[in-house]
Amino acid sequence: MQEHIQLDQKQINDDLLSGVLRTPRWWLPAITVALLVFLTGMGAFGYMLNKGVGVTGLNRPVFWGFFMVNFVFWIGISHAGIMISAILRLTQAEWRRPITRAAEVLTVFSLMAALMAAPLVHVGRPWRAGLWVFPYDFARGVWINIRSPFIWDPSAVMTYLTASTLFVLIALLPDLAVIRDRTTGRARVLYSILCLGWRGTPRQWKLQAVAGILLSALVLPVFVSVHSIVSWDFAVQIGTESWHSTIFAPYFIIGAIHSGVSAVATIMVLMVWLWNWDKYLRPDHLDAIGRLLIVVATTWFFFFFVEWIFALYTLEDPEIAMRELQVLQWPWSGLFILFLITAFFFPVPLWLFKKVRRSFFWMFVTTISVNVGMWLERFLIIVPGTMRKQPFVFDWGSYHPSIMEILMVAMTFAWVVIGLLLFARIFPLIPLFDIKEGMVGRDEIKIGRRTVPASIRE
Amino acid sequence: MHNGESQNGQANLATPAGINTDLLKRHGNTGKLFRSVLLVTGIMFLVGIVGIVLRLLEDGTENTRVWGYHAAAFAFILTTAQGAVMVAIAPRMAKAHWRRPISRVAEMFAVVGIVNLLMFIPLLSVLPSLEDGRRSLWFYNAADPILSKVPVYTPHIWASLSLIFLVLSGLMLLWVSSLADLATIRDSSSGRKHRFFAWLANGWHGTSKQWFMKYHRIGILGAFYFMMLIFTHFLIATDFDMALIPGWIDALFPITHAANSLQAGCATVIIAMFVLRRFGGYGDWIGLDQFWGLGKLMFALSLLWFWFWFSSFIILWYGSRPNEESVLNLIIRGPYQPAFMAAFILNFIAPLFMMMWNPVRKSIWGPTLVATGILIGTFFDRIRLYVSAYSIPGIGDSSVDKHMLHEIPQTVMPHFIDYMIWVGAIGGSVFVYMLATRIFPIINIWEQKELLLYKFHKKLHRTEVLVLGKPD
Amino acid sequence: MAIRSVLGLFNNEDTAADALDALNEAGFDQSEYEVLTGTPYPEGTFGEAEPVHKLYRFPLIGAACGFIVGLLLTSGTQLAFPLVTGGKPILSIPPMAIIMYEGTMLGAILFTVVGIIFESRLPRLLMGAYNTKITEGAIGVAVTTDETKVSQAEDVLRNAGAEDLKRGWETEQNR
Repeated sequence: MQEHIQLDQKQINDDLLSGVLRTPRWWLPAITVALLVFLTGMGAFGYMLNKGVGVTGLNRPVFWGFFMVNFVFWIGISHAGIMISAILRLTQAEWRRPITRAAEVLTVFSLMAALMAAPLVHVGRPWRAGLWVFPYDFARGVWINIRSPFIWDPSAVMTYLTASTLFVLIALLPDLAVIRDRTTGRARVLYSILCLGWRGTPRQWKLQAVAGILLSALVLPVFVSVHSIVSWDFAVQIGTESWHSTIFAPYFIIGAIHSGVSAVATIMVLMVWLWNWDKYLRPDHLDAIGRLLIVVATTWFFFFFVEWIFALYTLEDPEIAMRELQVLQWPWSGLFILFLITAFFFPVPLWLFKKVRRSFFWMFVTTISVNVGMWLERFLIIVPGTMRKQPFVFDWGSYHPSIMEILMVAMTFAWVVIGLLLFARIFPLIPLFDIKEGMVGRDEIKIGRRTVPASIRE
Repeated sequence: MHNGESQNGQANLATPAGINTDLLKRHGNTGKLFRSVLLVTGIMFLVGIVGIVLRLLEDGTENTRVWGYHAAAFAFILTTAQGAVMVAIAPRMAKAHWRRPISRVAEMFAVVGIVNLLMFIPLLSVLPSLEDGRRSLWFYNAADPILSKVPVYTPHIWASLSLIFLVLSGLMLLWVSSLADLATIRDSSSGRKHRFFAWLANGWHGTSKQWFMKYHRIGILGAFYFMMLIFTHFLIATDFDMALIPGWIDALFPITHAANSLQAGCATVIIAMFVLRRFGGYGDWIGLDQFWGLGKLMFALSLLWFWFWFSSFIILWYGSRPNEESVLNLIIRGPYQPAFMAAFILNFIAPLFMMMWNPVRKSIWGPTLVATGILIGTFFDRIRLYVSAYSIPGIGDSSVDKHMLHEIPQTVMPHFIDYMIWVGAIGGSVFVYMLATRIFPIINIWEQKELLLYKFHKKLHRTEVLVLGKPD
Repeated sequence: MAIRSVLGLFNNEDTAADALDALNEAGFDQSEYEVLTGTPYPEGTFGEAEPVHKLYRFPLIGAACGFIVGLLLTSGTQLAFPLVTGGKPILSIPPMAIIMYEGTMLGAILFTVVGIIFESRLPRLLMGAYNTKITEGAIGVAVTTDETKVSQAEDVLRNAGAEDLKRGWETEQNR
């Protein structure tokens, strides 16, 4: 990248630990607002526990409403971390360096938000779900049914959560040592314990490098399995038209990458706006992620198209009727058009322009737009699907989310904001050692009048 | 210019002139082995043509059952050789330097498309019109006032166009990417050869504008080839395979078919690399880096194969509707179970358990062995998918239920003519490929010279490191 | 004999590399000294010995354990409570494979993380000779040796151009 700025280690420490060693002025107001929204959502949750799920808009036959939409949405966002971090690490893409950690942390907190949305809030009586899982009834010998996708799902999500959390923690070790060396008193004791006595020997650095590649290679297959299994929650059953499709697993995955990578781009912009890390996150970085997004978005659209084509391919009346409902009947038709515009037709043509890809403002707007669209996409898969008159459904109606559901959905968004803000206050959001390594491993090749960026490979 | 060593450590290959001399010398020489293989494969090609003629004369095109192995051969070439071209396109887009010595090896597989076009012609006659009431991508429905207006030969028309454009774009890509090399041959030859290559090089002088346009066109043609490849697989997998099996609705299958092509394409190029190293004397050019880089890609695509297959399988297995059960009974459990098992083991199990080990992945023999397995696995996979589909009774007959397969047909074993067609398909592919190597240098000369600009070793305090430049 | 460590601080990669050569010449074994840096350098930058590790064994063992646990959990629970649901066989391989797969990956990842910490020789309870300037870009050369050889090491480091010298305590494990 031509815009590279060479910095020494001291400068990097000073810049990137600015949010950890000092409290930014906007931080307290921001987290207070997020906390308020979160607590309001918790209040709504408490109210729902007290009064029952009747306070939501869920009713026969639509039992999967905003909560499930939100669950799938957050699982989707969680795919950003590994997509950026693991794939770009394995392909040795230099531009990954400043964004890997933010992406991984987004994975961790959005997975927690997903768990908050589905098992916790969605089941209505979460303690019953808890008692159903733990402890197993040894006395009667009643065991869980592993043939149910609802058992595959938690096993995958929990594996992914464990793996991505450990991934973040392992890569934090060298940076925690840097903070240890810059703090005093109790903070120093805390960071000394957290960094496990890191000293920066060649052995430790080598293990970090190997760990980055090995863990990436191990987490990638888990990442693929998670959203595949979430899609199978829908697709394995035959009762709901438009769900029983073989393409669901890759379609969900690519959709998750589309929304997840967009979310990472949003966070990149926020990192520059809030922490002034413009020396580290250059327009070049946005350009690179913008190009990646064009590829991802186009692939996603292709899968979306194929999914539709094969729904029509069946030429079966119930399937066609369901698609008509999705596209031609108000209000779904309006939402469908909004979804297509926000998820694809607004952002992608704009990304084709280099100026847009290099603009912080436009990347912010377009990537937010993608996630509005991708939220709607999940809504349009879930709600009209369950709403339609189908065989064996004796009752039907429409679905209107109640204010309680909206508050609880807002709660999950607030949770992710709180998580990221707290993380950034305690740990560096840009990996210091990765940036420093990039500075050491950078070179240039002069060819005539032209300078070509180069990197050192061992 | 950096006075580093060449990528293979040979000092004489570290200058543009050295690269020219070495590669032009290799391009100009044909050994005895080359000529013998050319002769043998040429005869194989003729055997195949005779086979197709015999099939047409003996059976005609009415009975689809006898054409299953022919269709499988066509799909096999589409999946392997025509997918191989992608190895030149994708790593070039990602600016991976390791691809340089093998991008021409991959591009050259575009010429095999010509053989496959010939193979495709009889299939056009074998595939019945949409009037038999089967499902199709074109939604023809005789009972519907609007859908009944869909031309009944739409699958034939679009698949033909798509295949023709695929072959043309591949050949264009090969030619555009070779321009600079053709000019190099022009400049080092005389007489008729000079005139021929001057004509082929189309006035290439290496001006900045020409280089700019060349890069630009390679990019566009590469992207176009990729899109045509996906589109062709989409049409062939759906209209020429899935639609023939009543009750098989699998939105992912065309994409699996295409992904399989990327995997088998990598395998094909790896085999070609091995042959060039072992018998072609290109050991100085094609080395561990190339096997390692492409091997990793092939490994990842093998995992993708499983993921796609399982994603389809679990839905049909779990849904377990009668039509889904019958499809599984036909292509996985039933008469083609051995073929399926072979494909499953060779396309997924063997690559997984072999390529997961560092010493295997980072070797010449490891990826070659796995690639051989993948080609054999793909061969069986195409047989299980196409032979089974073409063996279903009632294709073309509108009185037979097209939404449910009521009776699983018996395994169709290959006839002597089928062997002839297979021999011809493979022999013909190798034959035209070898002929093409007489025109286009098999190692991309200009990409090698370009690498000299971007790759060198330098001393970093007490160690030596490799520096790789990545131009924007 | 008690183990002590001493750290020399250098501001330049070449001087640090020279210090390593000097230590080698003075008869210190390669296992007695190491370079401490605030950023990963390409291997061998200072002429140090290449670290050898056995990290790759960990995921394999972990995967095997995870697979076995997954297999026992899926088959055991179904056999213990053999209720047919959805017309599927009691031991249905496709769903079992999904959970066994997750178990395998979880085992592999957990063991890898343990392996990374173990192979990095962490946690290190006593920091030994250390200087906070290392995380600011200075290069430390730490010699961990018998108490008797500490002053000799100090001399070598000083002569090699160390900007700062520091002693630290060590436990026997850090030898």
